[in-house]
Amino acid sequence: MYLVVATPSTLGLFAGPILPADPGRFLLIEKFVLAALILTSAGLFWKRFGIVVDKIFKSRRDPGFHLSPVGKRIWDFFWEVLCQAKVIRERPLPGLAHAFVFWSFLAFALVTLNHIATGFGIPMLAPNGLSRYIPLFADFYFLFAALFAIACVVSIAGLFIRRFVVRPVWLSRVGHELSWESGVIAGLIFALMATYLASFFVADGSLAARLLWWSHTLSLLVFLPLVPHTKHLHLILSPVTIFLSRGSFSQIPPLAGDEDFGLVTGKDLTQLVSLQAYSCVECGRCTEHCPAANTGKILNPKEVILGVRGYLNEYGPVGSSAEELLLGKYNSQEAAFQCTTCGACEFQCPVGIEHVPIIVGLRRGAVNTGAWEDDYGTKLFLAMERNSNALGLSASERDKFIQKQELPIFDGTQEYCLWLGCMGGYDPKGREIISSFVEVMRYLGTSYGVLRKEKCTGDPARRLGNDLVFQQLAESNLEAMTQQKVKKIISICPHCVRTIQEDWKEFGTPPEIEHHSEFLARHQTQLPHQKTEEKIAYHDPCYLGRYRNVYDQPRSVISSAGTLVEAERSRERSFCCGAGGGLAFLGEEHGQRVSSVRAQELVATGATTIGAACPFCNTMFRDALASQGDNSPRLLDIAQIAAMQLPKPDAKPQA
Amino acid sequence: MKIIVAIKQVPERDARIRIDAQGKWIDLQDVEFTMNESDAYALEEALQLKEAHGGEVIVLSAGPERVGRTIREALAKGADRAIHIESADETALSDFDALGIARLLAAAVKDEQADLILTGLQSDDLGLGQTGVIMAELLGLPHATLILKIEKTDTGIKVLRELEDGWFQHLALPTPAVLTIQSGNSKLRYATLMGIKKAKTKEVRIVSVADLQASNPDLAPRPVVVLEKIILPHKQRTTQILGGTPGEAAAALVEKLQFEVRAI
Amino acid sequence: MSSVLVFLEKKNDEISRISWETYAAGNELGKALGLPVDFAYIANPTGGSLPVIFGEDPQEIHVIDHPVLNVYTADGYTAAFCQLIEKVKPAFVLFPHTYQVRDFAPRLATRFGQVLISDVTGFISCGTQPRFIRQLLQGKLNAEYTHSNSGTCFVSIQSGAFRMLGPRQGSTAMGEKFTPKLEASEIRVQPGEPFRASAQTVDLNSAAILVSVGRGIKEQANLPIVEELAKVLGAELAASRPICDNGWLPMDRQVGSSGQTVAPKVYLAIGISGAIQHLVGMKGSQCIVAINKDENAPIFEVADYGIVGDLFEVVPALTAAVRKVKA
Repeated sequence: MYLVVATPSTLGLFAGPILPADPGRFLLIEKFVLAALILTSAGLFWKRFGIVVDKIFKSRRDPGFHLSPVGKRIWDFFWEVLCQAKVIRERPLPGLAHAFVFWSFLAFALVTLNHIATGFGIPMLAPNGLSRYIPLFADFYFLFAALFAIACVVSIAGLFIRRFVVRPVWLSRVGHELSWESGVIAGLIFALMATYLASFFVADGSLAARLLWWSHTLSLLVFLPLVPHTKHLHLILSPVTIFLSRGSFSQIPPLAGDEDFGLVTGKDLTQLVSLQAYSCVECGRCTEHCPAANTGKILNPKEVILGVRGYLNEYGPVGSSAEELLLGKYNSQEAAFQCTTCGACEFQCPVGIEHVPIIVGLRRGAVNTGAWEDDYGTKLFLAMERNSNALGLSASERDKFIQKQELPIFDGTQEYCLWLGCMGGYDPKGREIISSFVEVMRYLGTSYGVLRKEKCTGDPARRLGNDLVFQQLAESNLEAMTQQKVKKIISICPHCVRTIQEDWKEFGTPPEIEHHSEFLARHQTQLPHQKTEEKIAYHDPCYLGRYRNVYDQPRSVISSAGTLVEAERSRERSFCCGAGGGLAFLGEEHGQRVSSVRAQELVATGATTIGAACPFCNTMFRDALASQGDNSPRLLDIAQIAAMQLPKPDAKPQA
Repeated sequence: MKIIVAIKQVPERDARIRIDAQGKWIDLQDVEFTMNESDAYALEEALQLKEAHGGEVIVLSAGPERVGRTIREALAKGADRAIHIESADETALSDFDALGIARLLAAAVKDEQADLILTGLQSDDLGLGQTGVIMAELLGLPHATLILKIEKTDTGIKVLRELEDGWFQHLALPTPAVLTIQSGNSKLRYATLMGIKKAKTKEVRIVSVADLQASNPDLAPRPVVVLEKIILPHKQRTTQILGGTPGEAAAALVEKLQFEVRAI
Repeated sequence: MSSVLVFLEKKNDEISRISWETYAAGNELGKALGLPVDFAYIANPTGGSLPVIFGEDPQEIHVIDHPVLNVYTADGYTAAFCQLIEKVKPAFVLFPHTYQVRDFAPRLATRFGQVLISDVTGFISCGTQPRFIRQLLQGKLNAEYTHSNSGTCFVSIQSGAFRMLGPRQGSTAMGEKFTPKLEASEIRVQPGEPFRASAQTVDLNSAAILVSVGRGIKEQANLPIVEELAKVLGAELAASRPICDNGWLPMDRQVGSSGQTVAPKVYLAIGISGAIQHLVGMKGSQCIVAINKDENAPIFEVADYGIVGDLFEVVPALTAAVRKVKA
């Protein structure tokens, strides 16, 4: 087929189909040089890559890792690697540019093969090569590749300008503003594509064609050994990393036996952690969305991962050098304990790095060995040891609340167990949320009860890395629930929901549990609605949104009461309130308060009410809004919003 | 330094208070136990001294089998070994008054030749605050109470003692000595997973009360002071709202503070 | 002859109030059992007698005098008392329950093979055997104790449990001098000079009473109202987080989850609503008093005493009332 466009061909420069120029016959000496260069390049490549692979394999096995369900892995691979979905969705323009570069690499697979084959005198795709079997294959393919090459050239140029002229802060590393290696690699990619495209415009067999051929080859053979020395290692590793994810979001692995205390030294690094550390592309998407990094803390998720990589490069995962503490030269304890475990980093990562288990792992290493000496942390752990709740309050306070609200006690016969949690049981605001939710349940005639005694689910201990306290609480709670025949739980706190449903699995089989927003959404048709014009801004809690994928249910409750408005960062991009990761119980923050930043963002929507779905978010915003002055919007949990619409107590509830 | 820390396992502060059938103690069903608070500070002080000067920290406790859990907690926090004076059941020690218990404890550690014996200032349950002082007298050792800080000196130890009304004083005493430790002086450490695992390998020497008594007839319980009965006081902790004009309410409050709370 | 012997302790060279309360207890016990009451005290280094006695005339007064006793030591006091008791052979020895008594009295009792019944809040006379009441489980239970043998019974009396009796003017009690046999070499503990903690840092934990202010105070200019109350009570000033955040009071006065945790004898929460972050910092206080104009404020759930009212009226009234009592 001949393209009828204004191509060099139709302009009469060439006769024949659109193809890159044939470089001509290669001399024997050229073939030897080519072979030698290939061997050298491959050798240099393996010299470094082999070390990386060795370090990954020498790391210890991940406890609790299962390949199944494979279906999800295959889907993630297709969607995130091949379709570059996350890369594009989260940073559209640069993402698309990267996608083109990636796709052109894929598209060029045969081109490259053919290119080298040509050098050895085996013209694969030439008319008397593969095209013998598939007519016009070469014509199509080279043109197809050329289109991609154009896209790639434009994209790489754009990305180069972005990195070196625009210089977004997220791309830089602490201490190195510009990355020379990125420049070199960009240059090489550009060269590869440019030499390919240029070869369409020179005559077959000409000196120009030969020179272009060699330029292309040299670009390739210089590129190859550079890959394992730079972040471009992700070319090889990231598809594997994405395929070998832990299985669910922010999944904290179990400890493996008596000697495992978390990530203490290099010997504790697992294969997945090492693989992920070497996959990091330094794109900085994690840091860009990190609430700590955005409010002046020293925590920088990218640097945490690169810190692990630096450790592996210097000390490795085995041997006496690997006895150096992980929280030492390359990672700081202070940074590790500034994390709210919001998961924005992990969510954003386009190469499948799971930051939260790594940070929690580092915390475990510090806490389980007593290396973390923090006054507030110690106070929290002692309170959980002594009083079995994170606030250190007496259980009689909770009893008083139950009595005052006349809450039915769970006796095994009711359908649901309403879990109060530490906030619902002791915090005045949490109690209001419980009271409102109870009103709704009473209206619906739901059969429920509250446990006579509750111990904290252990969420703060879990996220801070205290496995001793967590295990004690989880086991004790599981036993109590089994004894009392608890089958289904509703909780007003996303942290309780997550910890009970996922983290308790390490010690037993937890009952089913759902968040009250899921319950409310399910019963929306049975509840009365009094919709007003009021603007209500909804804040997605980290542990409900990113952790549990519950975004629409709370919104349905809000939409039934007023006009839902979204904050600038919402849904999967919701910005943390600052309480997670046990941080609500630790002392004052450095830099700006995360809660103030988010509160301002919510106030900026112009809403007169802020809807929350987590008692911790609620308590953080309560203080932050109070400091904004008297005209600040009111703060309500969705349970309160739902309860507001119920008829007054003397009216008869509908059946 | 060889330091013995006497620790008591007490019902946790939260425990539901119901008087048992005999009327002499609380019903222990569903009651959870924990380490006595000022004993935890005594342990912390001992561990800090060991970290600074080397030596050994030995935990000493008397009570039924359940006391083992608190002993292990102390070992997990860093003590080296323990002596458990085990009583056969919940009631076996109820005939021992403070002097009787102190005699048991003193008998168990007499041969240890410790440099220091530390106890908490008082127990959260009985609150007598005497065991340490009595042990000092029985063992013929000097003692000091309400201690906040201990420093080792060439001639023995220098301690910081709390006095009333925000006053303090230093004391110098020779070792061996007995000290009772006040709460709140140091930052307690939390029990770590690593500590608990290590604790499994540490020695807990169990000595039964009966055995101690067999070798020492002095230790038979002959209580000097007898707990006859316990009663729940009428006033439970409820909020009293003081009404009237500001002046009236203020006067009522002052009266409460003076005579009921005894703070003015 | 059998008697009740009361030890009167000195504070700043004067017999302390708690000692006179103990003496009142002794008087009551003596009356109930038909026993005379003596008292004893350590002489001043400069000598001198007691100007006034608060209570009944004692049968005997023992003035214990020895240079070794000029500074308190457990060894000294124990030995001195031991000798006095051996001489007087009282049926009961009553002490005020002070830090000092807690230091030496158990040692003394042990020397007699006895046990001190400490921190007693009252007694019931059942025939010849009184039953002493003390509190268990941090005040949640009352317990009755009896003394089982015929030797001396040692008791210490809680501050405020008995009311000090009126003064007995006109008695120029001199008392009998008792000089125990003591050597300086018997004293094993060398005490240093008492000192106060440095006035620089605010240690909210050493105050018996805390006056804490919250957002109800509205403006920094209103703080003197609360400061006055604190001064008159001899209390330390504390605050909830918003006050410190605004810079109205320094951060080291903050009580709460991100500030200090306190457990004073009395915690006055003025204009504080009682959010959880504040509650966790003060819930251990022995007595919580709340003053807030919102009757639904969560602070009232944890308070022992509450006044629902405008703090701008209540606090000055309270200050005046305290001043009157202390005068």
